[in-house]
Amino acid sequence: MISRVQKTVLVLVVVLFMAFSNTGSASAGALLADLENALMCKCDDKCGKVLENCTCSTSDKTRKKFSKMLESGLTVEQIVKQQVEEHGETILSAPTKKGFNLTAWIIPFGAILVGGLGLRRLLNVWTGKKMPDNEVDGAADVDTDKPDDAAGSTKYSHRLQDELNQLET
Amino acid sequence: MNDIGEFTLMVALATALYGTVAYVMSARGNRIDLYLSADKIPLITWACVMISSIALWKALFTNDFSLQYVYAYSNIELDYFYKFSSFWGGQKGSLLFWTLLLSTYTLVVHFQNRKKSLIVVPYAMAVLLGVTVFFLFLLNFSTNPFERIPLPPADGRGLNPLLQNYWMVIHPPTLYLGYVGFTVPFAYAMAGLITKSLDDSWIRLTRKWTVVSWFFLCMGNLFGASWAYVELGWGGYWAWDPVENAAFMPLIIATAYLHSVMIQEKKDMMKVWNMSLVLLTFVMTIFGTFITRSGLIQSVHTFDEATLGYYFLGFLFFIIAVCSVMIVWRLPLLKSKNELDSFLSREASFLFNNLLLLGIGFATFWGTIFPIISEAVRGIKITVGPPFYNQVNVPIGLALLALIGIGPVIAWRRATWSNLKKNFHKPVAVALVGGAVLYPILPLSNRSEIYTFIAFILCMFVTSSILLEFFKGTMARSQSHEETTVGALGSMIWHNKRRYGGYVVHIGVVMIYAGIAASQSYGTHIEKRMKIGDTIEISDYMLRYEKIAAVQATSVKTRIIAQLAVEKDGRRIWTARPEKEFYKGQTQPVSEVDVRSTLASDLYVILADFSEDDSATIKVYYNPMVSWLWMGGWVIALGTMVCAWPDRLEQRRRLERLKRQEIVFSPAQE
Repeated sequence: MISRVQKTVLVLVVVLFMAFSNTGSASAGALLADLENALMCKCDDKCGKVLENCTCSTSDKTRKKFSKMLESGLTVEQIVKQQVEEHGETILSAPTKKGFNLTAWIIPFGAILVGGLGLRRLLNVWTGKKMPDNEVDGAADVDTDKPDDAAGSTKYSHRLQDELNQLET
Repeated sequence: MNDIGEFTLMVALATALYGTVAYVMSARGNRIDLYLSADKIPLITWACVMISSIALWKALFTNDFSLQYVYAYSNIELDYFYKFSSFWGGQKGSLLFWTLLLSTYTLVVHFQNRKKSLIVVPYAMAVLLGVTVFFLFLLNFSTNPFERIPLPPADGRGLNPLLQNYWMVIHPPTLYLGYVGFTVPFAYAMAGLITKSLDDSWIRLTRKWTVVSWFFLCMGNLFGASWAYVELGWGGYWAWDPVENAAFMPLIIATAYLHSVMIQEKKDMMKVWNMSLVLLTFVMTIFGTFITRSGLIQSVHTFDEATLGYYFLGFLFFIIAVCSVMIVWRLPLLKSKNELDSFLSREASFLFNNLLLLGIGFATFWGTIFPIISEAVRGIKITVGPPFYNQVNVPIGLALLALIGIGPVIAWRRATWSNLKKNFHKPVAVALVGGAVLYPILPLSNRSEIYTFIAFILCMFVTSSILLEFFKGTMARSQSHEETTVGALGSMIWHNKRRYGGYVVHIGVVMIYAGIAASQSYGTHIEKRMKIGDTIEISDYMLRYEKIAAVQATSVKTRIIAQLAVEKDGRRIWTARPEKEFYKGQTQPVSEVDVRSTLASDLYVILADFSEDDSATIKVYYNPMVSWLWMGGWVIALGTMVCAWPDRLEQRRRLERLKRQEIVFSPAQE
């Protein structure tokens, strides 16, 4: 069962992630850069590079064309839309965040989330074999803490020695 | 010599095939005669492949254009340095080079183990030779580097100008050393599965192979980034190209393995997981090769022949099927007593580290194949480029960076909250103070800049936690052994090479993170059409365009060189000479950038275009902290060297452990 603290942390992480994910990346002076980042180069060599990274003569012409389009008052979104109508979705440097393409964005995070939940479950099982959670705080840390009772001392001394031996390897 | 090279390739295929079968049969039937004959095969195969390689190099150096490969990738004017590297510049030569490395590794494994009589060795040798058979089959029947041209031309087409760069002499061999190196842990893992030797002995046998292969793959990626930076002329070093991804994915999975394997060594658990990671790393190297050679995915790096893709796809499915069957078959033996003392332990942090590393690996894999999936499902081919990978992998990468800092501070087995507070308060304080200092200085106007700010804070946290570990360990040793501080530091590292070598590697990784974060967010560039005497300003620099000149470098290469004086605070500090190179027979000129690199930033100058009236279009990038990436690579090299340094004590223990376990192969003992 998830505790209140864990729930709060989870919500905070999700909110922070959503906030960063939705932060706009375009500033007024960087419209051309946004376009270069959003679109692929359509050069004859089929270089497969995003326009921003391409240095071929076609990319230079494309940049000039986009500069003129921006000067004429078209927005980045309008130019991108026009390019998609002309060349198809392949001109976009990343999948759109709608329809089937949304799976491209969701699945990696979904996989990590599922993996994380699975890992948590696994850890619960693995740690549950040893001792309940409420005893954790009182337990000694093998790196530095000294246990109080003699039996514990012997046990942890052996453990420390064992660990030091392993560190030597 | 060409006939000899072609013939020895055939002989190599025959011997490797025989070796594979003989090793397996000798182990299964305990037949000493077969084992003794198979034992000569690694050397014979290596010698045959080496002779073929020498034959191809000779053909390249002597301009033997009767060979189609030499005609396609060399010419008379090509510098000897690049004639040497054109060996791996094309599809056929690179496969021969791969086979040469694989047969060399096989030979090394053979010499390493011939006196050890371990039961896993014959099977490991059989797997290594079996993989060699696949590559030799391709070389003999699909991509023969000794293919002739009936009427040899007077000169060749020459090497792609983009490959005529010193990094392309270093980058592919380094990358291949990593790729091919992972065949060895794979072979031992398979041998372990076959022979049921599923304790950690195969892990200990292959530990250094894994570390060294990981190192080469890491450096191969960095050298590739260096090549892209200085040769492709777009001011960047990583474009999330499918072929770059192909080299990145095995690196990430191998990194996960290098961490999780420590849990198996210490607690004898996670056997299935570690076995799967080793097999998956090898599968990803073959997947990467498939991408590079299939033409399935559009990339600047791919070779032009698509037919090989089918062979690699077949091999890939075969490997996946065999690995899956073997793991399922041996699952009862791989089950281990999985127990952890606490959620708050280094073991648990390693598991989360694995989760994030595999998350990055999976996201990269998913992005790489998504165009194919989209085409299959919707009939529409789409592109998955840098914006996707940056948005997906950067947040995961930041979480991973935090774990790099947590790992060294958290205790094995069990940490308490009070102890965590004690160990963490200093690194956290350093990170918070650093963050407070940086907050008013750094711009935070977009997502990229916010990520960079977080990355810097985490870099400070990780660095301070690692340095604190060095400090605490040194002080403790200095007091307990009555040594000087420097002496205590040295002996502490010497006696715990893996631990402190690993920390040094982490410092290198932090430097790479910092370099990527700064250069991706705070870089800027400007482009201007300039006449002689015009100036351009970027950051604190002013560049004055002085002249442009044409130089006939060779009969096939003309260089157009622009000269710009670079001033800072009114003082000339550097002269930039970016170039455009025109090669005979090539449609596109090649940009040769000029870079002034300092710790703080790179000034990166490109001659984008020029006219007959001596005017030129100059593009200048101001890239902060790019040099940290390359320095981080060298720090990783240092750390890996410490980790992999031979340890007599460890070697003795390992041999004793193996003797105790009696996992010996009887024929070799007879």
